[in-house]
Amino acid sequence: MATSPSSSQADPSARTPGGFFGRIVAWRWPVLILGLMVIAAGISQIPRLEKDTSAGAFIDPENPALVYRDRVEEIFGLRDPIVVAVVADEAAPEGGGAGGVYTPETLQLVDRLTDRLLGLDNVDPDRVVSLATESTVVGTDIGMEVPDFFDPVPQDEVGAASVRAAAEAFPLYHGNLVARDGRATVIVAELIDEDAAQATYDAIRDVTASAETPPGVTLHVAGEGAIAGFLSTYIDRDAAKLNPLAGLIITAVLFAAFLTIRGALVPNLIVLATVALTLGLMAASGVAFYVITNGLIVCLIGIAVADSVHVFSEYYESIARDPDRDRKAIVAEVMREKWRPITFTSLTTIAGFLAFWPTNDMPPIRYFGLYGAVGVAIAWVYSLTVLPAILAMLPARPSRAFRGDGAAGRQGVPARAMGALGGAVLARPGLVIGFWAVVVVAGVAGASQVVVNDSRINNFEPSEPLYRADKRINAVMDGTYNLDVVIETEGREGLFDPAVLRGIEDLQAFLETLPHVNGTTSIVDYIKQMNKAVNENRDAAYAIPDDPNLIAQLFLLYEVSGDPTDLEEEVDYERRRALVRAYLDTGEYTNNAVVVPAVEQWLDENFDLPGVTATPTGRVNVDYHWINGVDEDHAASVVVSAAAVMAMAGLLFRSAVAGLLAGAPVVVSILLIYAVMGFAGIWLGVGTSMFAAIAIGLGVDFAIHALDRLHRQLEEGGSMRDALARLYPTTGRALFFNFAALVLGFGVLVTSDVPPLVKFGALVAVAVSTAFLASLTLLPALALVLRPRFLTGGAGASTGGGVAATAGKAALALGVAGGLALGAGDTTRAQEMPSGDALMAEVDAREEGEHATADITLELTDRSGTSRVQEIRSFRKYFGEEKRTVLFYEEPTNVRGTAFLTYDYPDPSVDDDQWLYLPALRKVRRIAASDRGDYFLGTDFTYEEIKKQNKVELSDYTFATTGTETVNGVETYVVEGTPVSDAIAEEIGYGRVVWRIDPEIDMSLVSDYWDVNGNPLKTITNERIEEIDGIWTSMVIRAENHKTGHSTVFTNANVDYEESVPDRMFEQQMLRRGL
Amino acid sequence: MDSDRPAAALPLAFAVALGVAATAFLPTPAAAQGAEGEGAGPGPLEALNLDIRGLWTNEIAVETDGEAQKFETSVSPEVSADLPDGWRLTGIGRLRFEGVDRLAPGRPSQEFRAPWSRRLQVGDYLDAELRELYVDGFVGDTFLRLGKQQVVWGQADGLRVLDQVNPFDFREFVLPEFEDRRIPLWTANAEIPVGDALLQVLWIPDRTYDDVPAPGAPFAFTSPLVSPQPRPGVPFTIAEPDRPDDLLLDGDVGARVTAFVDGWDLSANYLFHHYDQAVYTRRLTPGGVRIEPRYERSHLVGGSASNAFGDVTLRSEIAVSTNRHFQATEPAAEDGVATGTELGYVVGLDYTGVSDTLISGQVFQSALVAYDEAIVRDRLETQVTLKVEQNFFNDTLTLGGLLIHSLNDADGVVQLDLDYSLRSNVRLSAGADLFYGGRDGLFGEFRDASRVTAGFEIGF
Repeated sequence: MATSPSSSQADPSARTPGGFFGRIVAWRWPVLILGLMVIAAGISQIPRLEKDTSAGAFIDPENPALVYRDRVEEIFGLRDPIVVAVVADEAAPEGGGAGGVYTPETLQLVDRLTDRLLGLDNVDPDRVVSLATESTVVGTDIGMEVPDFFDPVPQDEVGAASVRAAAEAFPLYHGNLVARDGRATVIVAELIDEDAAQATYDAIRDVTASAETPPGVTLHVAGEGAIAGFLSTYIDRDAAKLNPLAGLIITAVLFAAFLTIRGALVPNLIVLATVALTLGLMAASGVAFYVITNGLIVCLIGIAVADSVHVFSEYYESIARDPDRDRKAIVAEVMREKWRPITFTSLTTIAGFLAFWPTNDMPPIRYFGLYGAVGVAIAWVYSLTVLPAILAMLPARPSRAFRGDGAAGRQGVPARAMGALGGAVLARPGLVIGFWAVVVVAGVAGASQVVVNDSRINNFEPSEPLYRADKRINAVMDGTYNLDVVIETEGREGLFDPAVLRGIEDLQAFLETLPHVNGTTSIVDYIKQMNKAVNENRDAAYAIPDDPNLIAQLFLLYEVSGDPTDLEEEVDYERRRALVRAYLDTGEYTNNAVVVPAVEQWLDENFDLPGVTATPTGRVNVDYHWINGVDEDHAASVVVSAAAVMAMAGLLFRSAVAGLLAGAPVVVSILLIYAVMGFAGIWLGVGTSMFAAIAIGLGVDFAIHALDRLHRQLEEGGSMRDALARLYPTTGRALFFNFAALVLGFGVLVTSDVPPLVKFGALVAVAVSTAFLASLTLLPALALVLRPRFLTGGAGASTGGGVAATAGKAALALGVAGGLALGAGDTTRAQEMPSGDALMAEVDAREEGEHATADITLELTDRSGTSRVQEIRSFRKYFGEEKRTVLFYEEPTNVRGTAFLTYDYPDPSVDDDQWLYLPALRKVRRIAASDRGDYFLGTDFTYEEIKKQNKVELSDYTFATTGTETVNGVETYVVEGTPVSDAIAEEIGYGRVVWRIDPEIDMSLVSDYWDVNGNPLKTITNERIEEIDGIWTSMVIRAENHKTGHSTVFTNANVDYEESVPDRMFEQQMLRRGL
Repeated sequence: MDSDRPAAALPLAFAVALGVAATAFLPTPAAAQGAEGEGAGPGPLEALNLDIRGLWTNEIAVETDGEAQKFETSVSPEVSADLPDGWRLTGIGRLRFEGVDRLAPGRPSQEFRAPWSRRLQVGDYLDAELRELYVDGFVGDTFLRLGKQQVVWGQADGLRVLDQVNPFDFREFVLPEFEDRRIPLWTANAEIPVGDALLQVLWIPDRTYDDVPAPGAPFAFTSPLVSPQPRPGVPFTIAEPDRPDDLLLDGDVGARVTAFVDGWDLSANYLFHHYDQAVYTRRLTPGGVRIEPRYERSHLVGGSASNAFGDVTLRSEIAVSTNRHFQATEPAAEDGVATGTELGYVVGLDYTGVSDTLISGQVFQSALVAYDEAIVRDRLETQVTLKVEQNFFNDTLTLGGLLIHSLNDADGVVQLDLDYSLRSNVRLSAGADLFYGGRDGLFGEFRDASRVTAGFEIGF
């Protein structure tokens, strides 16, 4: 060893690493206590950690496909349902009659199950669909009737046969409500709160389990709602068993490595610190605990012990060499030897984790990267401080695994095995290089075979009931995966145009030609059925009428005869938009990637009705667009992390060749993984795409430790061959246990019940193994053959200040590289569209005149259509930057005299002042301004919206531009606002807002609001915008509350920005005096 | 009866004329606007910008023992018209039919009221009243409102510390809306901006005082706290109240300065007035005990402050009233009254942190400075109120509860109210007013008048 203990103690105040570790050893108690206190602080924060294990957390909430789908779901009132399938073991007989599911017993079962489902919590009773709830359309002498299928519930075969006849006479239901061959029927239940899907899924499973089924009939529960609900719990439950197992296995590895209690337990303290502080920091910074955070814990457990393995190896080697030395001297010396490789391997692992941040859009993965990096940094700090402090307290006892003096004396199996490996490599370096060259070629070939694919159902074991139910239902029905196309016409009742309906018919015909599309539905099916019904049920009349008036009449007839909400899922209330739905029996990305672009292309080329737009959406479309980026994100993270670790290694040894050499083992390991994936048919999906960056960050550690040891030994003198030979039993052995801890840690994931986690764990384990092997075979062989100057010549880095400077530069480089990568991501986005901040600042700065007066009519309409009308005089004026608004109610007489005054101050931290005058009290009442999220006097506008008049308090939100959208022919930017804090969200009443900003007039045309729990809340539409006195003014503003069904239409009249308004209008006494 | 005095007849005739005009036309404002929009040249009526509207209300109340207390139908027409120079005339009348005739039985004497502020009583069941009639407008920056009007001071809900300008009608004790209980007075009201503050100056020549129900009515006062107690076996007569009679010298004057300072709404108030509650002095005469109601002058000095802090609004007011007269026990106070200075204050907090919900609590205390032991009431009286109001269905349905509780007498009243807007201009209501506590208390004395109510209101 280069430095004697006495020299380190000679100058304890020196700010060299030696001095630093001397001080750690001297201050071991304070260091330990401080370390424990910090751990306690971290643990104290953990209870605040919020779990967000929902599958929805994975999709970037700004993803335009998702945003559009959410809107469509709102318009048509769609939710991901849970589906109960009633499946008979044989099809209904040819030619009609009872059979299949059309038996009285089975249909009664459907009726009973429907009743039970209707009574369950969280099942929307208005949105349960089954043969027991639906109606058919039949012609009668007087026109058309919409009788229920079960009218009455069939008691005999004749009744069952008539239900079958009715169902088969209505093609709309074929394949989605009843199987085409009569083998199955489904009960579809939509949920009120999709976040509570798990409990509802369990409750429905209880219902089906307790139901008495006729012989030969089985029940299955599946559907997107069930998958979404169950997946989170499934993964969560799985992880709960993995983490302790990982801890146990790693403790066992440590014991095997050192054969001492301290060697097995002390590294566990580092694990505790790493996990506790990482989770504590996540909690403190408000980052949620996602499903994959479970995987992060397993990763950190493996990574946190790696530093300890190297410190303990050096420690026991040192004791073995000189058992009588002072324990504090030993520890300080060990740390001076090891701090440098530990630091650099930590930095490279950090680089690997950080590569996720700029290259990925999914919040859980981004935070996985960020907090993985944080965890590695914590492990590094504890390994350099608390670990030596503890070792310095314990008497320096030798380990039985490290006996004798010097490398030659080690007789342990691992050391001997490593020595043998070294001998083989050094004997035939050319062969070794050749072998790895073959691996590279195979890897490249394998990589070309890798299939980008994902499907949520494959997150479950094939033995899970949910998996089996999904497969069964998709085999007998048209499918549970939906691809939707929204047809949007320009005006009300645009759908009555026969040309539009024919366009929809053509689209359906096209959709049905696509792979795995087994059926489609749309309003056209209803119209054809209705037309047939009014034409004496003639089959020839199952067609779209040519006369728009007839179509309008058919709609009317249906509304009169049946339940108007039956059509809710196919058309909107204005008859302006229609939903065309295709049913697919698979949700796999590979199929989505065929179907979605085909639909987009077909719509581009064939759907060219003037004024009519068609936009694909639905789960299949969202999944396609979501997963579509996975391969690019994956490639980017691989390139960024590989470049970062090579740059770090290059800086460490001040040599580009060193960077390439250190990178070689990880490059071959990644290529080998691609080969495995390509040839074994493992999909590159959301879960598996994460392996590479982590594998790179971890794999390069072996190369760095090996190169560092080699470099030091060559500095001490001797030939390359000798140095390499000594490398194997010493560093080789330590690397072996480092490798064992990692492989077994990640290997624990293989015991998981979640297939993607199994694959992720296996891939990382294989990658780490490969990197380990390559570091001990390929790397020495290359060193022997190439004899790079940074190892042999004098240009290499050395100890002391030089290394410290290098470390500083490396850290700087990491920071710069990370910063560049982060910045690059942002600028790419920024170049595409103006930022949300900029757009909303423009909105905020929109000219609204120094003063304004207007007459406002408020029409408040409840769900049943009952309206109340109120008339208001409004005045607004700026006093400097302070905006004052006053409203006087004029009609109806009952509320006449009610007046509202507000002072809105420019400083957002200053609460507004507000007063309300209630004529019954004849008093001006001061009201709290923090109620700004409350609804203003029974309207669907909040106090804030009444006051802000089409503007937004900028400091309430963070804004992001998520895309563009055409609203009534105007190209708008879609800006999403997220409240800056939970407190603000509570205050304003929104968890999220999406505006469509017309950049020409800096005004939102349509804005959607979600409540703090993420449920759709309301939509505000600016319907008539006019330029008055040079100022853009929305004359009609409509607010629709999706929860209550209540709406408010705010109509402006006599708007005047020119005539001055006297100041006194905005004083409290004016409220009393009235107008 | 004084109701047919010429002084009273004039304004009443005006009110009736307005009412008749209103009910005869019954145009909806929208229709009126539509007619204007059709572009016939501006006629004299349009130049007036005449606005006629009104409220039709009906309320029934049944006491908890099943006896009907009230069956009231009233029409309140409101007419306003533009005058030259931006001035405006407003008149509000009320025609009331009370079918049960228990609240103010027969044709009560209106001796508490000044002659020109009295109601016109037509038989036992029908009366008409000119509620308000005033002109208002600006002279320079000064706002003037001249005529019969309500002037409301203070910030408290349901409790009066500063709200002493107008007298009150107690025919239903404290149960109706303040607007309906307050008796409007002929007043000259000037509001003069002084810097950032506003100075209000009042001159009220109208010598009308609290209207208390005659003995026997459900809400007639019997509590010894406010009402002289008969002595068994001694004849007992009540004289006509001795109302001050000099138009100039006996009027009330007041001033208030209001300002908005650093988020605080502040006011300082001064009122030199005849206290609206009669002082019932007792005199032994050869014919027995004679109760002689009279009115005493008092200075009221006080102020109010309110502000909002987050979800909470603070409201407070305080006042000192001099020369207050209270019922006293006989041996010590020969005439049955004792005087003192009263300090009253109220502090209220409104919490609106829960959407569509108002929770409001108030503490009111009144203390007598230099307490005379003969005074029946306690030296320190404390009342607390709790109000909870919840709106449903976009404010179409309001459920409200108000508790007023006296800590001294352990009595109080609970008012429950359900209000539903059937249409823009149609409101239905149902409620209950429940008194509790001993019969000697200010609230407990009305235990037997506890009632359930139902009614509707139509705006036109």
